[in-house]
Amino acid sequence: MAWNDKLPVSYLLFTPKGRINRFTYWSTSVFIWPSFYVLFNLLGWLSPSATWLIYPPLFWALYCTATKRLHDGNRSAHWLWMLFLPIAGPLVIIFLLGFMKGTFQGNRFGPNPDAAPDYFKNPDAEKIPNLKSEERIVNDVTQLNPVLVSKVAAPQTIEELRDIIRTTDKFICIGGGRFSMGGQTASPNALHIDMRKLDKVIAFSPGERTIKVQAGIRWCDIQKHVDAHDLSIKVMQTYANFTVGGSLSVNCHGRYIGLGPVILSVRSLDAILANGDLVHASPTENPDIFFACVGCYNAIAVIAQVELDLEANVAVRRSHVKMRRDTYKQYFFSKVRENKDVVFHNGDIYPPLYRNMRAVIWIRTVEKPTVKTRLMPLAAAYPLERYFIGAFSKSAFGKWRREYLIDPLVFAVKRIHYRNYEAGYDVLELEPESRKQCTYVLQEYFVAVEKFDAFSTLMAEIFQRHKVNVINVSIRHAKADSGSLLAWAKEEVFAFVVWYKQGTADADKGAVAVWTRELIDAALSQGGSYYLPYQPHATAEQFHRAYPRAKQLFALKKKLDPSFKFRNVLWDTYYKAD
Amino acid sequence: MKRLYALILASLALAAGIALIQTRSPTTFAVGQGRVLPAEWLQPNPNPATPKADIRPADQTFLTFPEWFLVFSPEEQALAFQNRTSTAFPFMAHVAQFWQSYRIVNDQIKDAFPVNASYHVMICVIGVSTTVEYALKATYEALVGRLTDTGAPITAEDRYNAEYMADYVAFIKDHPWYEFDYSTRFKSLWTSTPLVGGSFMRKMERRYFLTTELIAKLLYAKLIGFGTHQAYDRPLPTTAVVLVKDSLVHLPRYDRFAQAAGTLAARGEAFKEIAGNTSAILLSVLVPAYGPTAFEDSRTLFTQPLASDPTRKRVVLAAPVPFLDRLLVRLGQANLPVEHVFDY
Ligand SMILES: Cc1cc2nc3c(=O)[nH]c(=O)nc-3n(C[C@H](O)[C@H](O)[C@H](O)COP(=O)(O)OP(=O)(O)OC[C@H]3O[C@@H](n4cnc5c(N)ncnc54)[C@H](O)[C@@H]3O)c2cc1C
Repeated sequence: MAWNDKLPVSYLLFTPKGRINRFTYWSTSVFIWPSFYVLFNLLGWLSPSATWLIYPPLFWALYCTATKRLHDGNRSAHWLWMLFLPIAGPLVIIFLLGFMKGTFQGNRFGPNPDAAPDYFKNPDAEKIPNLKSEERIVNDVTQLNPVLVSKVAAPQTIEELRDIIRTTDKFICIGGGRFSMGGQTASPNALHIDMRKLDKVIAFSPGERTIKVQAGIRWCDIQKHVDAHDLSIKVMQTYANFTVGGSLSVNCHGRYIGLGPVILSVRSLDAILANGDLVHASPTENPDIFFACVGCYNAIAVIAQVELDLEANVAVRRSHVKMRRDTYKQYFFSKVRENKDVVFHNGDIYPPLYRNMRAVIWIRTVEKPTVKTRLMPLAAAYPLERYFIGAFSKSAFGKWRREYLIDPLVFAVKRIHYRNYEAGYDVLELEPESRKQCTYVLQEYFVAVEKFDAFSTLMAEIFQRHKVNVINVSIRHAKADSGSLLAWAKEEVFAFVVWYKQGTADADKGAVAVWTRELIDAALSQGGSYYLPYQPHATAEQFHRAYPRAKQLFALKKKLDPSFKFRNVLWDTYYKAD
Repeated sequence: MKRLYALILASLALAAGIALIQTRSPTTFAVGQGRVLPAEWLQPNPNPATPKADIRPADQTFLTFPEWFLVFSPEEQALAFQNRTSTAFPFMAHVAQFWQSYRIVNDQIKDAFPVNASYHVMICVIGVSTTVEYALKATYEALVGRLTDTGAPITAEDRYNAEYMADYVAFIKDHPWYEFDYSTRFKSLWTSTPLVGGSFMRKMERRYFLTTELIAKLLYAKLIGFGTHQAYDRPLPTTAVVLVKDSLVHLPRYDRFAQAAGTLAARGEAFKEIAGNTSAILLSVLVPAYGPTAFEDSRTLFTQPLASDPTRKRVVLAAPVPFLDRLLVRLGQANLPVEHVFDY
C-alpha cells in the first residue's frame, strides 16, 4: 500500500505509467463504474447525446488502470488486444487484471507497488538462466552496455569491503547507482562490487554543517536525514538517485551558482587502495590520493567514506526569461553570476534551431512555498503536471510545441519550494517505457565561460548536420576545480548537458560515435573538455587532450595499483592502451 | 488512497441516489400489498376426479410465471429487433420485471401452500443467470454497442440477430431452452452472413457480439442440459382437464393451452378441474397501454408496461378454474389477446 498512498487519484486514473496491485485495481474499478453510471444518467436526463462526453475519459481511465495492472505482472498494454478474441480474450484479461498477482520484484515497469516508496534504482546484476557459476550481467541505466562479470559482491561493512579488495586475485570494478552510461561500472570477467549496501550515515553535525557517510549512500537518503535540521547538500546533481561514491568519482556538478564540481564540497574521504590499505585524504592530507580519487573513476582506490559540507535549506522561487542564445552570456554575467541570492540556475537551448534559450533561476526567498511537502514527492507520485513534462521531454513530441506552448504554460505557474525539494528529482521521470528500440542518452561538454558563443554555434551546426534528435541542451555554470587529476573544469566553465534520443542498433551507435567525436573536437578547439560518465566514444588522443593530467594519474595508478586490479571501460580503453 | 476512498464513497452514494430515483418509475405495478387473492381461491381440491398421473401441484400456476417471463422477454426482443437493433433494448427493465413479478406471485402462495423449495431454487438459478446475461449485455451495449449503433437493423448481422431471436422464441415455447441448436447458429453466422456490406464497423462489432453470445450460450446450455437431465424428469406434454360435463380431455400443455382452452370456452364448455386443480389459475393478457386492468370473475395481481413497446402492457390476473371459461369468453369479446394461461 505504501507506494500507492502517495499517488494522486488523477495519476492513478489517467496515466498508464507504473504498477498497481489487485486491491488498487478493484478500488479504482469500484470508483470508475459507479461514476460512469451516475454521469451517464445525469447527462442522459439533460440529453441522451450529452452522455457521449463521458466516453473519452471513461475509456482512457479503463485503459490506464488496466495498463498499470498489466504492468504489475510485467506485461505490456499490448495484452489488451486479447479483448478482440471473443470469450477467451475477455476472460483472460479479467483474470490478469482482477486476480493475477503482480511480480514480487521490481520489473521493467517499476517497483513492486506494495514496496516502500523509493527512488528509481537500477536492478541488481542480472542472473543468467541455467548457469551454475556466479557470473552475472552488469548493465547500466541505458541498457546499452551489458558486461559479463565473474561475480557480484555487495559488502555491508567497510571491513568486508577491504577484505574483498585485499584478498581477491581477480580484477575489480565498482558500481554505485550505475547511472553512468558507458560501462564505467564494469569490466569483463572482473569481480563487481555493488556499493549500495554501504549506505550508513556515520556522523552528522548540524552545527558544523557537515555529514560523514559511507560511499554507497544516495543523495536522497542524505536529504531525508538532514532535511529535519534545515540543511541541504551543498553540491549534487539535479537527480537524487546517485550514490555519493559514484558522484565523487565523476566529480559531479549541479545547477548551483557560485559553486562547481562536487570536489569543492568534500572535506575529506577514506579510500581503500588496491592492497586493502585504508587512507584518509583531504586537499591538505594525502592530497595526491585525494585528487586522484575525486573525479577519477576508481583509478587508484575505492572511496569508502566521505565527509561533506552542508548548506542551509532555503526556500527558493522560480523565475525565468526567454532570450536569444547570443545574448545569454551577457545576461549571465550581469544578472546571475554575482547575484548571491541565486541558488540554482540553468539555461535551456531549444532545438532544432538552437537560436533561443530560456534561462531559469531559483532565487532565495522568504515567501511561503507553493507546495505542501518539503521534499519532492517521488516520480511515481508526481502530479499530472510533472507527468506531462516528463512525457514531453521523453518523446521528441513537437519541439516547436514545447518551446511555444508547453514551456510557457509550465513556467507560467508560480513555484516556490525548498532547496532540498528542487534537488530531489527522480530519474524515473525520464525513464521511457522501453529501451529496446531506442534509448535516451546524455552527453556533456565544458568550455571556458568566454567561449560560450563560439562553442554553442559549433555545436548547433554539428547537431543540425547530423540530424541528431536532441531533446534538450541545458547550460550550467561551474567554478574552477580545486585540483582533481581529471578535472573537467580547469577554469571557470559553462557545461552543455545534451539529452538526446538514439536507436540501439549497431548502425545507430556508430553514427552517434561519429558526431560525438566531432563535438569533442569542437570543445577541444575551444580549450574545453567533455564529461566522462557517458559513452566512451573519444579517441585516446582526444581523452588526453581533454584531460592533460591523466598521464600523472596513470603514473600514480602504476605505483598504487601495479597489477591493474581496478578496471572499468575507461581504464580498459585509455590506460591499457597507454 | 484516502482521496480515492472518499471518491469511491461519494460515487457509490450518488449511484445509490440515482438508483433510488429510478425505482420511482417502476416497471411492474402491483395491485395490492402482499396476497390479493381471497383465501378460498387457494384451497386445494380434496377429491380430484383427474387421474393421479395428470395431477400437478396447485401453486405451480404461480411458480411457472417467472419461467414464462423468460419466454415473454425474448419474444419482446424478437419483435423489437425487427425495427431497432438490440443496442437500445431495455434489458435492465426486464431484469427488474422478472424479480418484481416473482415476488408478487410468490406473495400469493407463500402462506397457502407448503414451500416448493426446489422450484424456488430453479427460479433463482434462471433468474440470476438471466440477470447476469442482461447486465452484461446492457453494459456492453452502452459501452461499445452504442459506438457503432445504426438505429434500424441495417447490417446483415443485426438482421441475423432478429431472426435468431424469433427462432429461439418459437423453439422455447415447446422445448427447454438449453436444447436450442446454438452451434448451427454460430456456424451460419460465419458462413451464410455476408462479410462485406455497409457499416463495416457495426458488422464487425456485431459479429464479435453475436459470436460471444452464441458460444457462451452454447457452453452454458451444455452445462445446464447436463444437470437438468439428471435432476428432473421429462415433463408431460399435455394438461388433463375435467369439464363440467364430467368428461376428461387432454389439451396441449404450455403455449398452446390458452388457445385450446379458449376454443372450449367459446364452445360453451366450462372447466371443473385443470391438472387436478380447482383453485385459482394464473393468466396474462396483453392490453393497450390505457386499456382495462380489472376483469369480472378474476383478480388482477399486477401490470407490466412492455418495456420495449410503450403502447401495450401485460396484465397478470388469476381466476378460480370454474370461472375460467367466462373470463376467457369475456376477454375474447373485448379482443384482448391472452398471452398465456399458466397451466400448472
Ligand atoms: C539522468 C541523469 C542525469 C544526470 N545528471 C547529472 C548532472 O546533473 N550532473 C552531473 O554531474 N552528472 C549527471 N549525471 C551523471 C552522473 O552524475 C554520473 O553518472 C554518476 O556517476 C552517477 O552516480 P552513480 O552512483 O550511479 O555512479 P556509477 O555509475 O555507479 O559509477 C560511476 C563511476 O564511479 C565509480 N564508482 C562508484 N562508486 C565508487 C566508489 N565508492 N569508489 C570509487 N569509485 C566508485 C564507478 O566505478 C564508475 O566508474 C546524470 C546521469 C543521469 C543518468
